[in-house]
Amino acid sequence: MFRKASSSQFSTGFSGSGALSHVYIQYPPLRCSIPGARGLFYDDGNKLLVSPTSDQVFTWKTSPFAPLVAPTSFPVNEGPIISIRYSLDAKVLAIQRSNHEIQFWNRETGTTFSQMCKSESESILGFFWTDCPTCDVVFVKTSGLDLFSLDSEWKSLHLVETKRFNVGWYVYTHESRVVLLASGMQCKSFIGYQLSSAGIIRLPRFEMAMAKSEANSKPVLAAADVHIVTVYGRIYCLQVDGVAMLLHSYRFYRDAVVQQGSLPIYSSKIAVSVVDNVLLVHQVDAKVVILYDIFSDSRAPISAPLPLLLRGCPRVATSSSQSISRDAETLEAKDLSDTEAIVYGDGWTFLVPDLVCDAANGLLWKIHLDLEAISASSSEVPSVLEFLQRRRLEAYKAKQLCLTIVSTIILERRPVSMVARAIDILVTSYSNSIKVGSYLKGTKAEKSSPSGVPQTNSSGTVADDSTSRVDASGKSVKHESAGGVHNESMNRSLTFSALDSEDNASIEPQKTSSGDLHSLGGKMGVETHSAGVHQSTLQSQLLGPGDNPLNANVTDHQESQVTSAAISPDEMYSFVFAPVDEEMAGDSSYLVAVIIEFLRSANLEKIKVHSNIYVLTIQLLARNERYAELGLLIINKMLEPSREVAMQLLESGRQNIQTRKLGLDMLRQLSLHHDYVLLLVQDGYYLEALRYARKNKVNTVRPSLFLEAAYTSNDSQHLAAVLRFFSDFIPGFKSTPDHNTYCRVLAEMNSSVTA
Amino acid sequence: MGLSSVATVNEMIKFSIFDLRRGQHEGQELDKILFFFPADLPFATQLSVIGLSEGLITFTRIFSPEAACEVIEAEGHSHVFYEPEPDIWMVMIVEKSKESEAIWRVDALRRVLKEVHSLFVMFHGAIRALLDKEPGGGLIRSHLYSFIMDYLGDFLIGKKLQLPNFRDSLKERGTVQMLTVGREAAIEVQSLVRVLESCAGNTPCYSLILFQDLLVSTTLSPEDTINVFTYAVLRLTPRALSSGVSSWSYLRKGSVSSHAAPGSISANPGAVLEQFYHSPDTSSGGDRNYRVARPLQHDKWTKGNDGFLVTDIWNAEAGSVVPTTPTIWLQQTEERMCLCAFQHRNLTLILLIPTTSILNREQGISIVKQQVLENASLKIFKVEEKLSKGWGGENAYHVSGYRYLLVDGDRNVTRASPPAKVTTLTKESLVALSKLREEVDLEKSQAKWVGPNCEKDLEICIRAKNNAWVIARVTRGKELYMVLEKANETLLYASDAIEKFSDRYCNGAFSLD
Repeated sequence: MFRKASSSQFSTGFSGSGALSHVYIQYPPLRCSIPGARGLFYDDGNKLLVSPTSDQVFTWKTSPFAPLVAPTSFPVNEGPIISIRYSLDAKVLAIQRSNHEIQFWNRETGTTFSQMCKSESESILGFFWTDCPTCDVVFVKTSGLDLFSLDSEWKSLHLVETKRFNVGWYVYTHESRVVLLASGMQCKSFIGYQLSSAGIIRLPRFEMAMAKSEANSKPVLAAADVHIVTVYGRIYCLQVDGVAMLLHSYRFYRDAVVQQGSLPIYSSKIAVSVVDNVLLVHQVDAKVVILYDIFSDSRAPISAPLPLLLRGCPRVATSSSQSISRDAETLEAKDLSDTEAIVYGDGWTFLVPDLVCDAANGLLWKIHLDLEAISASSSEVPSVLEFLQRRRLEAYKAKQLCLTIVSTIILERRPVSMVARAIDILVTSYSNSIKVGSYLKGTKAEKSSPSGVPQTNSSGTVADDSTSRVDASGKSVKHESAGGVHNESMNRSLTFSALDSEDNASIEPQKTSSGDLHSLGGKMGVETHSAGVHQSTLQSQLLGPGDNPLNANVTDHQESQVTSAAISPDEMYSFVFAPVDEEMAGDSSYLVAVIIEFLRSANLEKIKVHSNIYVLTIQLLARNERYAELGLLIINKMLEPSREVAMQLLESGRQNIQTRKLGLDMLRQLSLHHDYVLLLVQDGYYLEALRYARKNKVNTVRPSLFLEAAYTSNDSQHLAAVLRFFSDFIPGFKSTPDHNTYCRVLAEMNSSVTA
Repeated sequence: MGLSSVATVNEMIKFSIFDLRRGQHEGQELDKILFFFPADLPFATQLSVIGLSEGLITFTRIFSPEAACEVIEAEGHSHVFYEPEPDIWMVMIVEKSKESEAIWRVDALRRVLKEVHSLFVMFHGAIRALLDKEPGGGLIRSHLYSFIMDYLGDFLIGKKLQLPNFRDSLKERGTVQMLTVGREAAIEVQSLVRVLESCAGNTPCYSLILFQDLLVSTTLSPEDTINVFTYAVLRLTPRALSSGVSSWSYLRKGSVSSHAAPGSISANPGAVLEQFYHSPDTSSGGDRNYRVARPLQHDKWTKGNDGFLVTDIWNAEAGSVVPTTPTIWLQQTEERMCLCAFQHRNLTLILLIPTTSILNREQGISIVKQQVLENASLKIFKVEEKLSKGWGGENAYHVSGYRYLLVDGDRNVTRASPPAKVTTLTKESLVALSKLREEVDLEKSQAKWVGPNCEKDLEICIRAKNNAWVIARVTRGKELYMVLEKANETLLYASDAIEKFSDRYCNGAFSLD
């Protein structure tokens, strides 16, 4: 059956590396097929892929995603396995054996116990671990939720609370901490709970809309049609309406569930992933994926539907891949066969948030965004920049792309208004990143922001950040919108924020440095964050020392240093303005106009601009001999005074005395006395220099300079005055060689006059 | 309108322009006269005035070929000379009189000559060029006549020409007054400038922005800025448009009100002048058949519905009915530019577009105007709002206790006490200041001969008869003139006062010691 499908789908689904796509899966995948495996399970609480055999459980860590990671194994008893999950501290393994029984293993002591349903009438639909303060594990049963806590010896469960209602099926993601319980005949009536470290929140009951087909007036909603997604820290529920061909979205607030509009779908089978806060709607039948950036109110897709690409795959049927055969020792050394290379194959299961499990072939793929392709596909520069600025996973790449885009539009001399909008987006985004402290080089770009602590590493500072954010989050809408428009009711989304999970912290703490993801949600729950930190440390314990080299590697990589795509004024200078200036020969007025727009933007956001940009502006204006304008910019302090600026004015003022004077005045106003006096002397104003030096007690300029200047002016009276000045005010001057030399010179001058 | 009044005016002021390269043969003397005011003087008198001037020029050239005569101070008259173009001389003769207001400062008068010439060149091109175009001289004479008569009309107070005298000592003609703006506003203005100048596509344009009668931004060269600014203040700013009465910037306004009630000024002073000196075209050699655009004519500019200022002044030249876009010459680039002026409340924007870049002028200009409305409107509104908010009103630059004039010679910018405040000074103080300035002018012109880059520091404090301190301080291209009445009698006090002023308002430029 697979083989049959492959031949027809090969061309569409997998069309080689040259194909156009915005989303790709990277070869090699994580191979997770174990001989004798009884299925693959995904423990989303710990991001583990679990494959039990008759007597062992093999576990792969999927976060951070590393294709060559070796599984850890743990012996278990023989028996049926319906589902399997590790506790969040990974010390206890729970296996659902039947509809009535869940078995628990203490991994340290090896002790086990089982928890059974009390009555025969109810059955267990599933279970999950939680970091809720009051309980540890939640059973979802047809009769409702049972909340248990583990006793201190981990030998039995202790029932904390029971919530009673009829449940048809349920959906849970650890990422959102939300469990949705479907009830009713059509299973379209929902009750939701968020069980987070902040406590238990009950969502209001709500109904999902379903279009009726002619054949079936009472369609039943299936669990597969409901997806919980977490985007920018907000929690949405997406519901596939196969009849209306729409994907309805609902957003969860603390006190409400609000319909957010619908997206069109083009396939009866829909899967949903979230990569770096971008919503991917897989139109499985059509074998294309549509990208949405659900940040603003706009529900327009980022770009046209394009297939998912398999990247980096050595051509099928070539000799066996070296890397696989070497490293994947537990796997059969084989390359991807035709069947395995099928994108959107029948065996594909989409895991939250961005993984695809090809259960039939035992492969796990991670979905990536192709930021280059996305940015290249749109000509709407501002919206592309906004999109890129919101990216966190590949912040370094996004940043580079932003820099390239801005440089390009300047080089192409697009209308200044358009460039200005692009710059506005970057500056606003930078300003926001400073406010939330996610910009690493925050110390360099000084700015008064609520969080003075530049984020240095993942764990400790996350908590710090979140506290500072609490201070800040109340006031600004921009806060949440990194360079974008966010028109939703701010108030409510904030009050709901505790419901927004902190799960991002545990996704990939080493890679994303987590805080940024939170910042987008504008969260307030400090406890939530600390819990997240706690968890991430536990997680690394679980995964053992074997992972450390990889982690270290990731941290060393420059991407990890760049935690947000925000671009500082300094970087604007060194990666945009300076290179563009070199490339753009001739008339500089366009670049000046762009820089002025940049200054305007920076001023609006109250960001300090480094003097190198001012210096560049002066050079540009002087190059075109636009000294009048230059003077205006200096006098109005648009180019803020600094020593560098003053020196550039003096340099550029070689051809224009007025400009040079501006530089001198600036030195004086900055109280750079030494430089000022020195330059006055150089310009021949030695008497003024002396007066100034005396007034401001400048004694660092050598007397010989003054004397030399007075001598060259050929005025013996002045020379005598200068000599006298130094004799009077510098102790011991009379014994210096300077004094003797110029006394002699003065005598000669006088004698020549009298003669 | 009796003859007697004409006679007094005649005696007060004579103004001539002549060309030394013309009329050098006996019998052709009249040929050298390009302009004479009053025009109804007999030719014999005109020739004798010019003859004296010419003689002096010729004589002084023996000693100083580069710069001949600057001024003759006779017992009853001052002759002020100015050579704007080689061998073309402007001479102004004013009568001195102790009891009346006729106490002059030569440099102030010369600046009038300079200004009228610069403005003339801006609109019509150089005098020599027009002479070359039509050697007969009719063209230049008709241009000069209408232009200068319109110009002099602005000096008409009642029925009398009032040239700048000692009362104008705290003003400097031929400079620009600037609005002080904060950084944020300055950035917005600059941003607007770029948008404005991009409205004509890739053509390099120039722009000038005024708030009321104060300059906010310019991209022109300093000389061109002065000319366009002067013209704008004369005819384009909201005040100039609404009053119908000319005002030499807001500085002049005070002196106008101090001398005469506004009601007594005719709506069209130019016409009054012509009535007085009923233009004897034939006698001055002018020819009325020339179509002459009169840019300084009054009440010719109006604000259109779209915010752009329109005028039919230039129709005369083109002979069309549809309003023709004005054009001016830029000194620096010697380019001919179309002048587009837009006004929003107190904000006047002037956009200069090279004529060469616009093929079909009127059509091209209307496209540019459209662009301005589309792209810049929002910014214009924003800037106007911002500047209005920050604007301190007429007396924004008043410093209590001080009457001052601050000249930045490097940038041709001046700032002064508001005219209304200057009028509170006594005549003695002002005459003393006028004298003092004369001294400084002398020092400055002498320093110029020593070397161009040698700027002397200078400080003079005078205790006037009425016990006022009259102070001048010059340092590296900046000048500060000050009158302190009712001040303490010690010199130390005066010196302290300057120091304080310098530190607070001039960034310490005048407090070197």
